[in-house]
Amino acid sequence: MKKMISAVAIGALLVTGFLLAQPQEDVSIGPRHPGVLSVPQPTHFF
Amino acid sequence: MIEVGSLIKLQRTKQNMTQGDLAKGIVSLSYLSKIENLKTEASPEIIQALCTRLGIQIDNSQNNMILEKCTEWYGMLFEANDKEEIIAKYKEIQELMDENLTENLLMFEIHKIRYYLVIGSYDKAEEKIKQLNDISGTFDNLHLYYWYKFKGNYNTVVNDEHNESMRLYKKAEEKGRQIDVSEEEIADLYYTIGVTHSKLRNTLEAIDYARKALEVFMKEYNFLRCAQCHIILGISYRRIKMYDNAIKNYNLALHLGKLNKNKVLILLAQENLGHLYTTTRESKKAITHFQAVLDDEEAHPADHLYTIASLVGLYYSVGNFEETRNTVNYGLKLLEEFGKYEEYKLYYYIIIAYDHLLKEEYKEFEKLMIHGFLPSLEKQEDYGNIAIYAELLASHFEKFHKYKDATKYYKVANFAYEQITNI
Repeated sequence: MKKMISAVAIGALLVTGFLLAQPQEDVSIGPRHPGVLSVPQPTHFF
Repeated sequence: MIEVGSLIKLQRTKQNMTQGDLAKGIVSLSYLSKIENLKTEASPEIIQALCTRLGIQIDNSQNNMILEKCTEWYGMLFEANDKEEIIAKYKEIQELMDENLTENLLMFEIHKIRYYLVIGSYDKAEEKIKQLNDISGTFDNLHLYYWYKFKGNYNTVVNDEHNESMRLYKKAEEKGRQIDVSEEEIADLYYTIGVTHSKLRNTLEAIDYARKALEVFMKEYNFLRCAQCHIILGISYRRIKMYDNAIKNYNLALHLGKLNKNKVLILLAQENLGHLYTTTRESKKAITHFQAVLDDEEAHPADHLYTIASLVGLYYSVGNFEETRNTVNYGLKLLEEFGKYEEYKLYYYIIIAYDHLLKEEYKEFEKLMIHGFLPSLEKQEDYGNIAIYAELLASHFEKFHKYKDATKYYKVANFAYEQITNI
């Protein structure tokens, strides 16, 4: 039982440590860049 | 100075003629080889005979007219133009090139790399690069400038190899200092280098180059190109957390896009504003901008899929499961209609992952993340998304008290953050 509690505690500690250490970078799926070719005309698909 | 040998070689290879076929009865094979490789200067009579066999004529009187048409066409490859018009102009010039041996031929052939990229014929662009590689040793500095730039474009557009693109763009920049090209042309190269720095997350360099390009485009009143620079500046300022500057630049891009009725730029600005407000955790504002993209029924499906993939995570994170469900359903419908799962794999994985979470299909979610989604991101070295989705998986394991698995994936996320921030 003691072993389990300490494993859970270490796990929780590692997780909390990570959350504090991680930088606040991109949290969605990233910025959208314009292209390097000419500005395209809108394309109609539907 | 016209390099006749290179032009003869180019015309011969285009017509799939061997050196033997061309030389027969006119010159020896070794002499033709010397002419083609600019090791000797042949007499005008020999050049005339070779051109006659190739079915082309030397007529310098047409040079200026051909140059004028070429210049117009080159310009069309850099601005918003109808593809049909670009193709029609190309065919017109190609006919002239087929009948005349002109000093404009080499530059025209080099610009074909860009042309094939613009019209989406990537195989032909690759073929042209291979073909021109043989004679690239005879290029002058002006030829080399475009040669490096367009090869860089190829690596950006086709291979997503931004380090290799940057190496080529830098070589073009070096050549640009030795030749006389227009300010707008150099600004286009600066813009291109700015985009590439931004993709490589070299934020300060991206700002530097985007600003240099913007300065020229502003002087030329080229508002569409200005808007593109504002997007790069927006992305860069957001990365260094200068949010007010980022918002200002995105709004300028949005304004210019609206003024010019350019849908691509309007959507790009809306998507980036949505992304910015997601990172600052201002969900309502983020949703407003993403919704504007979804409301546009004429937007490219890729724009809708990006937005849906962004929105599902956002709705889920704020506990709005009803909207997450609606957005996932719309995403699934769109994916089914649009197909192209391979091309839009990232969006597909995101939508399916949240679909599993909503249905509380946790085993399927874990399987998808561990055996599908994360390995696919690792293959593409997409550290930004590895950080986000390894963390999503880790927090899922944490929720179910699976601390060993949680720690494993927090470590994966941490490693990805280190790659992004170079620490």
